[in-house]
Amino acid sequence: MRKRMKKNFRVLRELFRIRFQHLMLFRLGFFGPFFVDGSLFAVQLMVFGAVYSNVDRIGAWGEGEMILFIGTFSLINAVGMAFYFFGIRQVPDKIRGGELDLYLTKPVSPLLRLTFEQINPGSLPLIAMSLCIIGYGARRAGIVPHAEDVLLYLGWLAVMIALHYDMMVLIRSVCFYLVTNARLEQLEDTALELCMKLPGIAFYGIYRIVFCFLLPYGLMATLPVQSILGELKWQTALQGLAVAAAFTGLTACAWKRGLRHYNSASS
Amino acid sequence: MRAEFISGYRKYREAAAVNLKAQLAWRADVVFNMLFTISKILFAYLLWGIIFRQRDAVAGFTFHGMLSYYIISSFLSQLELSGGISGEISARIRNGTFSKYMVLPMNIQGYFIAMEAGVVAFYLAFDFLAAAVWVFLFRIRFAFTGEPLVMACAALMVLLGLLFMVQLNFYLGILTLKYQEISTFLMIKNNLVALVTGTIVPLALFPETVVKLMRCLPFYYVTYLPSMLLTGRCREEAAPGLLILAVWCGALQLVIGITWKKYRKRYDGVGI
Repeated sequence: MRKRMKKNFRVLRELFRIRFQHLMLFRLGFFGPFFVDGSLFAVQLMVFGAVYSNVDRIGAWGEGEMILFIGTFSLINAVGMAFYFFGIRQVPDKIRGGELDLYLTKPVSPLLRLTFEQINPGSLPLIAMSLCIIGYGARRAGIVPHAEDVLLYLGWLAVMIALHYDMMVLIRSVCFYLVTNARLEQLEDTALELCMKLPGIAFYGIYRIVFCFLLPYGLMATLPVQSILGELKWQTALQGLAVAAAFTGLTACAWKRGLRHYNSASS
Repeated sequence: MRAEFISGYRKYREAAAVNLKAQLAWRADVVFNMLFTISKILFAYLLWGIIFRQRDAVAGFTFHGMLSYYIISSFLSQLELSGGISGEISARIRNGTFSKYMVLPMNIQGYFIAMEAGVVAFYLAFDFLAAAVWVFLFRIRFAFTGEPLVMACAALMVLLGLLFMVQLNFYLGILTLKYQEISTFLMIKNNLVALVTGTIVPLALFPETVVKLMRCLPFYYVTYLPSMLLTGRCREEAAPGLLILAVWCGALQLVIGITWKKYRKRYDGVGI
């Protein structure tokens, strides 16, 4: 196990080095993702700034809590953009074009390589920006967190980043069986866009089932924020963990079975 | 002169008709695009639903007035399909196939306007249907103006707004001749346009100074003001709005002419 981890670490180091060399060829586009996503979350902040200039609270949340939510979603998105988004996004093309053959013949997990071969250091400033938004939100909300609250928040953040990653891989694993997953990606984009703007506290009834269990984007930034606010009930926490575990299992299963189903370029 | 005008009109009408027919090849896209407009309405329904539980009015909007605004602004923003023009021009300049448009026996910008007209004509009925379904599904007491003059002003403003967006996207597309890579800028533009056209939240929620500033920009008149007019608000802004938007269209056309004349010789047909 330790030997395998050491080997994987060496592979990752090499992938990062190759990627850096490649990115340096296109310096102008280096910070592109930072500016694009930075503008997206800046727009979010302006939108909720405008809403909160007319209302005091949205449900139980004031402006500080909402800024914290936006910052947390931005952080999950930034980590994805920096490390795995661009790699996983290419999976459907690799399956359709038969390029996955190259990954299967290498002495390293194909998913590990696909995940990290397109890392984007240009998105790292987005992580710093998200942390600033979170800090500002916490200040506006009047939160002075203890070390254990921060640890709990970070723990939930890790779980939700894993869930985000699972959803990305799961949706693209469909290409092992179908010619295209374009509609699913469209659904993913739509659900993500909606849940980026709306915290999970706004969902109820059928909307809660859809956005907290079937397409659990509604949980992603909400649970970490609720944990640091001390609003997270143990039932909700258990539900969140169960959803994350279920999607991790489902993704692992879909990927493994998908690889068995893969027939090179004819897939 | 008259024969020339008729022949020119026929060419652009044909271009619009071809692009309208081309949409039929992507029927599933049409249906799914229509279905996914629900996300905007759902966002409004859930966000404003939770806010209006605690109050009756926000910035002069009631709950149903707010949802009516979102239905109309979502309908109008779905009609605004010119975003692809800048991407298409940019990609073709970069891979050296922009010649396809240069050899057309018509003005390139005119072709893109005709193309947009054809696509909008195709989507009009579907977007209308989607809006009607969402009104029914979310049980919205739909607020709509009853004044024919205001409706006519709003319709004219929508047409001018669509023309302005085609001009803007055409202009951004041809900037590839100078800057070579504009895709990042286009994505940032999309994020900002969603905010300043009032499709995320009504601009009336912003502070008065911001709204005053936005009134000087053309984006205020693309989606926001027509939506407000059609929900029976801001009728006093209709005439000045039409004038401001027309001035912006004229000014942008001048800039396009200068830019095109200056940079078109840089296109060498072999890509970047």
